[in-house]
Amino acid sequence: MLEIKNLHARIVDDGTEIIRGLNLTVKAGEVAAIMGPNGSGKSTLSYILAGREDYEVTEGDILYNGRSILEMDPAERATSGIFLAFQYPMEIPGVATMEFLKVAMNEQRKARGEEPLKIPEFLKRVKEAAASLNMDMAMLKRPLNVGFSGGEKKRAEILQMKLLEPRLCVLDETDSGLDIDALKIVSDGVNALRSPDRAFLVITHYQRLLEHIVPDSVHVLYKGQVIKSGDKSLALDLEANGYAGVIGEAA
Amino acid sequence: MNMHPQPQRTPAETALIDAFGDRLSLLPGDGAVMLKRDDAIEAIKHGLPTRRIESWHYTDLRRLLNAVPDFDPTAVAKPIAPIVEGSAVLSILNGNSGTKLPAVEGVTVQRLTEKLTDGSIAPGLDTYGSDDAIGALNTAFVADGYFVDIADGAQLEKPIELQNLQAGGQAHVRLPVRVGAGAKAVIVERQAGEGAALTSSVSQLVLGEGAEVTWLIVQEQPETATHLAQFKAHIGKNAKLTLFVMNAGGRLVRQEIMVKATGEGADFKLRGINLLAGDTHTDVTMVLDHAVPHTTSTEVIRNVVTGKARGVFQGRINVHQYAQKTNAKMACNTLLLSDDGEFATKPELEIFADDVVCGHGATVTEIDHDHLFYLMARGVDEKSARGLLVKAFVAEVIEELDDEAIVEALEARLDEWFVTHG
Amino acid sequence: MPAVQDTIDRVRKIDVDQYKYGFQTEIAVDKAPKGLSEDIIRFISAKKDEPSWMLEWRLEAYRRWLTLEEPTWARVNYPKIDFQDIYYYAAPKSTPGPTSLSDVDPEILKVYEKLGIPLKEQEILAGVQKTDVSELEEASDNVYKSGRVAVDAVFDSVSVVTTFKKELAQAGVIFCSISEAIREHPELVQKYLGSVVPTSDNFYATLNSAVFTDGSFVFVPKGVRCPMELSTYFRMNEKNTGQFERTLIIAEEGAYVSYLEGCTAPQRDENQLHAAVVELVALDDAEIKYSTVQNWYPGDAEGKGGIYNFVTKRGDCRGDRSKISWTQVETGSAITWKYPSCILRGDDSQGEFYSIAVSNGYQQVDSGTKMIHLGKNTSSRIISKGIAAGFSQNTYRGQVSAHRKATNARNFTNCDSLLIGDQCGAHTVPYMEAKNSTAQFEHEATTSKISEDQKFYVMQRGIPEEEAIALIVNGFVKDVIQQLPMEFAVEAQKLIGISLEGSVG
Repeated sequence: MLEIKNLHARIVDDGTEIIRGLNLTVKAGEVAAIMGPNGSGKSTLSYILAGREDYEVTEGDILYNGRSILEMDPAERATSGIFLAFQYPMEIPGVATMEFLKVAMNEQRKARGEEPLKIPEFLKRVKEAAASLNMDMAMLKRPLNVGFSGGEKKRAEILQMKLLEPRLCVLDETDSGLDIDALKIVSDGVNALRSPDRAFLVITHYQRLLEHIVPDSVHVLYKGQVIKSGDKSLALDLEANGYAGVIGEAA
Repeated sequence: MNMHPQPQRTPAETALIDAFGDRLSLLPGDGAVMLKRDDAIEAIKHGLPTRRIESWHYTDLRRLLNAVPDFDPTAVAKPIAPIVEGSAVLSILNGNSGTKLPAVEGVTVQRLTEKLTDGSIAPGLDTYGSDDAIGALNTAFVADGYFVDIADGAQLEKPIELQNLQAGGQAHVRLPVRVGAGAKAVIVERQAGEGAALTSSVSQLVLGEGAEVTWLIVQEQPETATHLAQFKAHIGKNAKLTLFVMNAGGRLVRQEIMVKATGEGADFKLRGINLLAGDTHTDVTMVLDHAVPHTTSTEVIRNVVTGKARGVFQGRINVHQYAQKTNAKMACNTLLLSDDGEFATKPELEIFADDVVCGHGATVTEIDHDHLFYLMARGVDEKSARGLLVKAFVAEVIEELDDEAIVEALEARLDEWFVTHG
Repeated sequence: MPAVQDTIDRVRKIDVDQYKYGFQTEIAVDKAPKGLSEDIIRFISAKKDEPSWMLEWRLEAYRRWLTLEEPTWARVNYPKIDFQDIYYYAAPKSTPGPTSLSDVDPEILKVYEKLGIPLKEQEILAGVQKTDVSELEEASDNVYKSGRVAVDAVFDSVSVVTTFKKELAQAGVIFCSISEAIREHPELVQKYLGSVVPTSDNFYATLNSAVFTDGSFVFVPKGVRCPMELSTYFRMNEKNTGQFERTLIIAEEGAYVSYLEGCTAPQRDENQLHAAVVELVALDDAEIKYSTVQNWYPGDAEGKGGIYNFVTKRGDCRGDRSKISWTQVETGSAITWKYPSCILRGDDSQGEFYSIAVSNGYQQVDSGTKMIHLGKNTSSRIISKGIAAGFSQNTYRGQVSAHRKATNARNFTNCDSLLIGDQCGAHTVPYMEAKNSTAQFEHEATTSKISEDQKFYVMQRGIPEEEAIALIVNGFVKDVIQQLPMEFAVEAQKLIGISLEGSVG
């Protein structure tokens, strides 16, 4: 589903190269975990996949279902099924969460050539999804992410993921700022979405999240490259021994 | 300077025009300087600005300047101790610079009368616009001052204190200061005296690349004096200027501040306190230009109004079209402690670049009743509690200066004001 | 950054000709000769069959106007106006004055139909169709529901029809054209006209006092809550004609009225002058809510043509505990010079000003408010949102003052500006004047561009760039939109989107 080939990318503003020859393949139905120390380029990778214009791809390619996405803008990527759960979801004052969800869901439908959702159907879907994530509907009447706690923001991200039904889900440090109960709810939400035609890229610093969302593969990112890949035991190894060993091996 | 010619001159206008005629032969300057003086007096002949001129909206100079004292050659002002011990002091007594100049390494000082006579500062005498009444008044009459040059890389350990002291009559002085690349200095501008003098004072500062200057204006004129002052600065690349202004005196005071961030990475901080008492009028007007990208500024002004005092703060931040990534913030807070006092604020933003973060805030309030209650609940009587809170309100701005000797010196001036006005 | 550059490029290709209301209608008109003189004023007054006191009032204003100069302090630039090159009176021939709907020229009715203004009472009675959005808003707990709307339709210089008059009269509410009020209710007009904006007030208000041709009159008697929204719709049609309407709204003790104003004009190369005066009077415990959606023709992409909108609007909270609230959405006009104000004269009175000003192309806006605190315990609130795009200049200018006797005066002001592209300007000029130690004023202002982070986040959910920006901008103005009655809120949101079309990348 996702094929990243020899990717090089830098920050447009100052030219700093962050991704330096990254290779990664994720198949449909797979949950791939990306781990790595701070500053290894994990979040940058998620931004580049979603098409953030602050980064420029200088070499290599990203193929999604066999097609390069480099020329697509963020909205086109999103409607083609790529979803990014942000590490720090943006607050957008004045824009009611419900209104936002409706516009976003209908954009997905438009891309698929479907009619916009009728209001009752829309409300039904939102209510169901919110209930499964233990979210209060009152929260959704508030402006998008404004005044939400860290945990509420992460839950709202998973809610959007549920409603937009993406094919490739990129979760950027979704566990950060979550207490153990919230982590459980969020993980259950993600697990419920696992399916043979959907892939996940779970970016995390700690193994903790992977106890709840068990990955099929684990990749260690360091200095903008995947330096080691393995199965879920690699994550346990990292937890026990830290990154130093793996980094030393690669060097 | 007024677009509508005034039908009749006020006594003050007449006095200024007559004084110019009388003084002309005594004023130093080569041909170029004298031409500037002629232009300046022409501007005054068009009339002093009124409230119909936007930049003078709250200070109707034509109405407020109701008397102009004669020049008084017999007035004798006495030098005073600098606010920071050990400072190099340059005094101007009744408009005249001294001949004995202290020697400071890396600093060259010249008497301004020489620079006027040889015409080398003529270009700096231009006014900045038709509403520049203070500039015009000063250019017409300026006779002396100091020209200070701080060499590239000089790191001054002690402040330079420029004292402008009067004992009546009129004094018109100018203080051009150039600070070289990478140099570091603290400059104190003292404005004080006795009697009912009319002062105009223009400071002109140019900061070279990477220079760092803290400039303190301490204005403690008697409540009989008219004080019209300008501070103009250009801040070069990566240079930093902190300007502190304290107004604690004067009958009619207007302090204009015109600062231009001309080099990328320039940073400007304005910190001001206005302590207003008696039947006085004090106006601080700032125009700040962010002319190039990546410059920053913050302005904090705190005002305390007692008695029948009237205060004004106008602050305009201009962000030019190409000055992207400007970050500018301004705050003006006023404690209005008397029903006979008044304060007017006009914080303006003029923004022509889109990728900026600019903001301003302004408040006019009473003393916080919760704070007052808290202190009184701890046994402090109401008068002392109020005094403490008012002092804390302005002292906050001083403490931010982060230089122990300066903070102490300014707090001493603050204490003195509270002793006489508290 | 590339995104910014992209935005700028698109702004360069700006097309302000998105104006949907630019059509002109061929209608036979009755016009006064061009130019301004005492004779023209006599002509207007005679056309309107006015009593002699009204003519005298006009002539006095005209003589005063001759001594005044055009104000120059606003941040707007335009060539000098030739006041002798304007027609001061133009009325559709077939409609000499307000009539029943069946008498109105069908061509004029078509105009209003095209503009989406309901003039047929039965249609309005059928109820406004709920939109998708409104249902959603309901789901979001926004429960504001408005019922029927009575309309006074002003076409060039005259009111062509006023709907629901009978039903309103049953409630004791007078809603008619000002011309009719001068004839039918002279005692009320004489008592209140010019009592808030005196004939000598300012250059344009004085001109209006001399030559005003029509406008609306509302009188809500003591204790009456007006049973429906009232609205006036202004349409400028005739070439080279100035529009000078005069509106007077009086709410007696304990009365309440909500009034809406809308306007459009054809697309023309010449500039047209609109100099209106609106006066509001609120007596003890009365409340007036005045909403405007201003959509005069803004001029073309090169800045050619468009309306000069020089308007004086002022409300007098004359009674204790009275309240006046102004809400405006300004998207049209080449030049806007407008400061809806409140004089807080009564004790415990309240003033509010909520504004959205969107400028694009070469539009120039200088707008804001004045809150003059005179009574005790008065409070005011100002929320202003300015959005500048294209080559436009957008200025907020507002004054808040507390006079000596205004103990416990309170003001909160928030004005935020948003810049789209680097060829436009956003300016904030507040004046705060406190003369009372118990006054508490709080003012905050910010200027920034749309955050790239926010835009990226919204686009990541599949929403295209232009829509993403419209969404964020609508969020930015939400606090003000919420003040509008529902139908207007939906219209206003759409209008903001249209006004910014082509300006955002």
